[in-house]
Amino acid sequence: MSGPVLAAVLAQAAPLAACLTILIGLRARPRAAAGLATLSLVVALGATAYLVVVVAVPNVHWVAQTTWLPVADGPALAFGVFFDPLAATMSFVVAFITLAVMVYSLGYMAGDPGFARYFGFLALFAWAMLGLVLASNLLQVLVFWELVGLASFLLIGFWFEQSAPAAAARKAFLMTRVGDVGFLLGVLLLVRALGNATISDVVAAAGPAGVFSPRFTTTVALLLLMGVIGKSAQGPLFTWLPDAMEGPTPVSALLHSATMVAAGVFLVARLHGFFAAAPEVMRGLLWLALVTALATATMAMVAEDIKRVLAYSTISQLGYMLMALAAGSVTAGFFHLTTHAGFKALLFMASGIFIHHAHSNDMRVIATKQPRSQRAGVIGLVSGSLALAGVIPFSGYFSKEAVLTTLGQHAGTAALALAYLGAGLTAYYTFRMVFLTVGQGAAGRRAVGAVGDAVGSGQDHAPNAGDRAMASVVLVLSVLTLVLGYLGGWLGARLGHEGVEHGPFALGAGPLVALALVAAGIALAWVEFGRRGAARAGFAERVPALRDFFGDNWYVDRLYGATLVRWGTALSRAARWHDHTVLDGASDGVASGAVWGGRILARVQAGYVQAYVAVAISLIAALGVWLVRRGGLP
Amino acid sequence: MTVASYLFVAACLFGIGLYGLLQRRSLVAMLIALELMLAAVSINVVALTTLAGRDGSLGQVVALILVGVAAAEAAIALSLFVAIHRARHTIDVEQLSELTG
Repeated sequence: MSGPVLAAVLAQAAPLAACLTILIGLRARPRAAAGLATLSLVVALGATAYLVVVVAVPNVHWVAQTTWLPVADGPALAFGVFFDPLAATMSFVVAFITLAVMVYSLGYMAGDPGFARYFGFLALFAWAMLGLVLASNLLQVLVFWELVGLASFLLIGFWFEQSAPAAAARKAFLMTRVGDVGFLLGVLLLVRALGNATISDVVAAAGPAGVFSPRFTTTVALLLLMGVIGKSAQGPLFTWLPDAMEGPTPVSALLHSATMVAAGVFLVARLHGFFAAAPEVMRGLLWLALVTALATATMAMVAEDIKRVLAYSTISQLGYMLMALAAGSVTAGFFHLTTHAGFKALLFMASGIFIHHAHSNDMRVIATKQPRSQRAGVIGLVSGSLALAGVIPFSGYFSKEAVLTTLGQHAGTAALALAYLGAGLTAYYTFRMVFLTVGQGAAGRRAVGAVGDAVGSGQDHAPNAGDRAMASVVLVLSVLTLVLGYLGGWLGARLGHEGVEHGPFALGAGPLVALALVAAGIALAWVEFGRRGAARAGFAERVPALRDFFGDNWYVDRLYGATLVRWGTALSRAARWHDHTVLDGASDGVASGAVWGGRILARVQAGYVQAYVAVAISLIAALGVWLVRRGGLP
Repeated sequence: MTVASYLFVAACLFGIGLYGLLQRRSLVAMLIALELMLAAVSINVVALTTLAGRDGSLGQVVALILVGVAAAEAAIALSLFVAIHRARHTIDVEQLSELTG
């Protein structure tokens, strides 16, 4: 095996081996389990770093593939590794974020009874995501796609003995499954048409010189996008992500940055050549992502739970990534995915420090528990928020600028204007969160002290010595928010210069508009929440109708509850009735019929020999009569 | 004498035996009735083989074998009755009805 192949195999095998070892043999030894999982991710990180050096830096593209299950006259199913800058960079990001989350979890999850299981699941998650990223074949992608869904189900429902996490895990699994049906159908159509599902073949077949008709390409693109929408929590299937907050906070950091939701965006980038051949689908995706981004931004404006604010912001930012991809720039979309992975993981881990300390997710409660004493948390929250809001020179500024530039070039004025509006809203809700959480002095604490005492939900961990590990991870990621922004040009040279051709510091009209809107958003947040004596209630929160509408996911969940969930429940009830009454009744009837028949027949066997003889002889006589009538033996 | 008259005697014997088998409650009486039925069968065999165009010696041989079988059967049955009587102090079939369903 050549070096890159070995590295790709190693990157996937190490987390898998760790996961299996932990779940089978180390359940009762939490320290060994955590050590093994972390070690496996160190190995994976080294292997993916090697991939970045030998594949992404020299910008080479090749596929190492071998046949799996050769079928005579059937599809030649293959599996392998896709070596190109996109896969190499993404795998490094995945390994890095997962390792950071693991180190952070050493502190955050310390003392949890499921500590070993937790690390086993994290390793499973890393394996699934690395396998998805490095896959060369869509069937392989499908397998890992489902494994990613399984891992997030297990981790969201990690505290499954409580009802809310169990329900959230179920919701996440079922909701993404709705999209996955489309994904599966799309892959099957491709296999039927091509005889295989190798990504490079699929992309080649969709181009102008390819064998796919435009109609076929459109159909398959729509089906595959269903999976993307479910996985990346877009459009009508987004409501699972805010609920996924019920999982442990480090899981949210992982789920929202480099794994799970990133899988959908990554797939669009991976198959960008294919999707580009269905322009009307891409146009639809652009508007869907735009509406999702704006809608979830409004939801983030009224949320009280810090993790919900971050969850809505994730959906919103995923919308920006998909917009950039839909408008035609792999670089801008993937660049935003990378920077977002860094700062969103940072924001979750910083908020995790506050949650750990305050034992509550509620921002107003956290504000009463002296959050400013958590120095690393404050640094992480502020630098992450600056990046999320898109303030120069933090990473989010550069990638969002790339997205907006792409939209300006290819998406038309209306989309661009709305995207700018979204950027302003992002800055507003982000700094609303910052000011609500850590922006208040002693006066504000007294004002809301009563609320804090009344609300005491949240995680129940005692403070422990792992705080240092958590703080160090947060500080490292904080530094990264200042560094990652300069990745744009490097990515552009490898994925296409669309959106980033002007370099990071091009201060034309576009960046100035965006920065002005961001500044306006931050200023509004300061006036409403930050300044001394502020009312600490946003403009949306003052209108009860808007507050309810935004705070209730735009009533999407209620709509599902009133329609799909109700119909589904009715169907289940009918099925249960059918099962209990018709099917069980039939088998019960057969059983009781046999018992009843047996009782009747038992009376014949009375134990009187002469009765038996009489019956036997009458039967023989009857047989004889019948034979004579029939005219002799046959 | 035609073959039919032999068959008629055999049928009478068989009917008497059957009646005895079903009617009598004593195992010994039932065995005797069974022997009557067996004798009826022997007569049938001897009578019917004369119709087959041979000299009838085959039927006579079979009848002799049947007599032997009947003797063996009687020996086994009587010893069983003795054993039953030792265990249960009765050979009335109406008392021997434990094997009910």
